Amino acid sequence: MIITETSKGDIAILAPDGKLDHDSAPEIRQNRSIIDPDKMVVIDLEKVDFIDDSGLGAIICALRNKRNANGVTVLSGMNHRLRIIFEITNIHKLFNIFDDVAPTIEYLETRQIERT
Amino acid sequence: MNKSITITLPGEIKFVRFASQTAASVATLLISENIPESEGTQFVHDFELAICEAFTNSVKHAVKRDTLQMLTITFEFEPRQLTVCLRDTNGPFTIETPTPEITDYPPGGYGLMIIRKVMDGVTCHRDGDSNILRMSKSL
Repeated sequence: MIITETSKGDIAILAPDGKLDHDSAPEIRQNRSIIDPDKMVVIDLEKVDFIDDSGLGAIICALRNKRNANGVTVLSGMNHRLRIIFEITNIHKLFNIFDDVAPTIEYLETRQIERT
Repeated sequence: MNKSITITLPGEIKFVRFASQTAASVATLLISENIPESEGTQFVHDFELAICEAFTNSVKHAVKRDTLQMLTITFEFEPRQLTVCLRDTNGPFTIETPTPEITDYPPGGYGLMIIRKVMDGVTCHRDGDSNILRMSKSL
């Protein structure tokens, strides 16, 4: 799996491309921006066409890591199929989910201002 | 006449994608004979996901028991229905597993829940020393 990473200030935008499954989930779990407590993270799922239990687990681990460090992980861009998987497992209730990256960054920048 | 395809794979995690992509190919074959492909993408995706979860579960449970097994997958075609059976030699299990408590942020354990939701019918029964997980879905 290719994960394209860009950043804007303390916000890291991770854009995985392909299948988020047992093979590729460790790349999310071990990503430096997810481990870094000072980064807020957007996981842009626009180019993810498949997610399984392992992929969901990796995203939940990202959320847990950030919450333990008072950080934030938000999701954006998921297609209809992914949304169904998030909804049937109730995982969508754990996250702020946006349609696109741009409003996601706006949201995080607002949170950043509130925190300072 | 109904048709079937059977494949046997080593129960190793590196074969999960092969198994799930085979399921997707078989599902594509069924829809190509029945409906426009564009209308069947969800059907194909659901089979790919169900086999991915089922195969992964079988491998993980075998690893816990420190055993390597062969997993047999049988695809049974009916005119507008596909059934997939996965046979493993793990200990008995039930598909009626409790729903993970989401507030605890469990980083896994959603596999059977996903299978039950994306398939029309899911059963599991014991055949000698094997489990047979049977998953079916209609067009």
